[in-house]
Amino acid sequence: MSARRPSAFFLGGRHLSEAASLALLVPFALLLVVVFLLPLGTLLHESLLVPAPTLEHYERVFAQPVYLRVMWRTLRIAFYVTLVALLLGYPLAYVMSRSGGLKLGLMAAAVLLPLWTSVLVRTYAWMVLLQRNGLVNEGLTGLGFVDAPIRLLYTEGAVVLAMSHVLLPFMVLPVFSALKGIPDDYPRAAQMLGASGWSTFREVIWPLSLPGVVSGCLMVFLLALGFFITPALIGGPQQMMIATLVSQQVREMLNWPFAGALVGVLLAFVLALTIAFNRFIRLERFVGTRS
Amino acid sequence: MKTMLALSLSLALVAGPALAQKKEVVIAATGGTMERALVEHFYKPFEAETGMPVNKVTTELPAQWARVQANARTGRQQFDIVTATFPDLIQHRDQLVRIDCDKLPNMKRAAPGACMEYGVMRSIGAMVMVWNTDMVKGKTPESWKDFYDVQNFPGPRGLPDTGDREYWVPVTALLADGVEKDKLFPLDLDRAYRKLDTIKPHVAVWWKSGDHVQQILRSGEVAMTMSYSGRALIMSRERQNIHMTFNQSIRDVGIWAVIKGGPNTDGAMAFLDFFMGGPERHVKFANQLNTATANLDALDLLPEAERRRRANHPDNWSRQVMPDFEWIGANREKLRERWVSWLTR
Repeated sequence: MSARRPSAFFLGGRHLSEAASLALLVPFALLLVVVFLLPLGTLLHESLLVPAPTLEHYERVFAQPVYLRVMWRTLRIAFYVTLVALLLGYPLAYVMSRSGGLKLGLMAAAVLLPLWTSVLVRTYAWMVLLQRNGLVNEGLTGLGFVDAPIRLLYTEGAVVLAMSHVLLPFMVLPVFSALKGIPDDYPRAAQMLGASGWSTFREVIWPLSLPGVVSGCLMVFLLALGFFITPALIGGPQQMMIATLVSQQVREMLNWPFAGALVGVLLAFVLALTIAFNRFIRLERFVGTRS
Repeated sequence: MKTMLALSLSLALVAGPALAQKKEVVIAATGGTMERALVEHFYKPFEAETGMPVNKVTTELPAQWARVQANARTGRQQFDIVTATFPDLIQHRDQLVRIDCDKLPNMKRAAPGACMEYGVMRSIGAMVMVWNTDMVKGKTPESWKDFYDVQNFPGPRGLPDTGDREYWVPVTALLADGVEKDKLFPLDLDRAYRKLDTIKPHVAVWWKSGDHVQQILRSGEVAMTMSYSGRALIMSRERQNIHMTFNQSIRDVGIWAVIKGGPNTDGAMAFLDFFMGGPERHVKFANQLNTATANLDALDLLPEAERRRRANHPDNWSRQVMPDFEWIGANREKLRERWVSWLTR
């Protein structure tokens, strides 16, 4: 080994030289700075320092109950969406990880194809299904379950349902890859040692799939927090989420500083959450190696 | 968004007829059918008559004003004429050129008040009440009082959650509660929201756009709703069971305004004068967009039945509410906060 000089990409090994990894990261880092950090920084700067240093916009966020109410509602809806996506996505990912060939291909297509369809189209499809004289209501009245059309559209349930549908792939994919990474020997060994199917799942598969579950939940939750189109179209005002408020401040009130303050509060929360989750993942790994 | 605008702007500037002999007039307006109608009935004829090319910039209003404000800071304006609402005329007055109506001969043929100190009325509409006769059981609602009366006029309601709803909707509540239309302002918000509390459970749809309000009327999602008069007109022609009234409707006017320090202010004034002339053009424009304009002669060219459907018909005009935009402008943040706070509860 010592005879071979490590090349920049150190073929055959897993490590890149530091210079090479930096060089590979530059394009993405540049993009991140230009289209994300710079605009975000400008917005936060406006919220705090323009024209003079002030906390008045942040004070307004906390002084008027409406903003915290909408923020809280955003968190609640995002939480429900994550829960529904997990309940629907985990079993699906589990079956996918235990299948192969055509069956896997079909299931993967069912998960991925919606991802390639515009969110707008999927959202409109839900509107058509759920509206007063829509398919679902016609089915319910036709079958005699209800006498008159019930209100489905513009409810929190509709928002959670449609958002879960749109975000489901972001749950299924990480969970699937975590499950796929569990060697078949482990559950087999557990069963040979007398574990039932349920305790095999509880003791072996579930803990080992947790990193996938955590990253799936985190991804769905964070995406849901910033969701805009779906809650705006499927939900009524009682389902208004924070992104809609931010956009109203920018587009209608031309109040960039206050929009910046709303974004700042949301961002602070999201960062805190991400850091907390990161800790949690590490903790899990630690527990995993000990046992 | 800003970069997109800047890009499209610079593209528009490059693509514009740079070699034309006369200096171009830069006009900012919304896109779609409005833009197509403006090009066909006003921009092209204006170019043909004066030789001054029109450089049209497609924009949404907030983006347009953001650009005007940003340009004011650098001291170089790009637009000569912009699209404005009444509140815009107050909010952005510092950026606007005062219009000397006496120097524009065609303004003599405009409806009284159409040529204002800082703007010229372009398209005249109103926020009207629309209903579905099948759903309100054949009765005819006459005013906002009936809109709030779910006993006699049962059925789901529609109200806007877009545009200037923070005063449109409270105004309907006060009218329904018996306030005279000339004594609405300053708005008694506590009274308005008390009345609004009574209708809220019956509002099935808070609509978000003109297309949306048409769609909920078409699909029978609402029995009664507030609507842009243009959209209401389309629906009342399309469906026998959909009717509208201009009674107690709230005036909603699209306005041309001239930007201070624009590249061609003389050209802008020439365009405004040209715009108000030519009744035939106004008829075609108004028909195409289901709106009305301030050219007096244009109304005479329409059949009587059609004239009654226009916001500028004298009978309709006198029954409209003219909001106090000075007061609204001074209280906009407060109005909006109250609205959002009430609506999201």
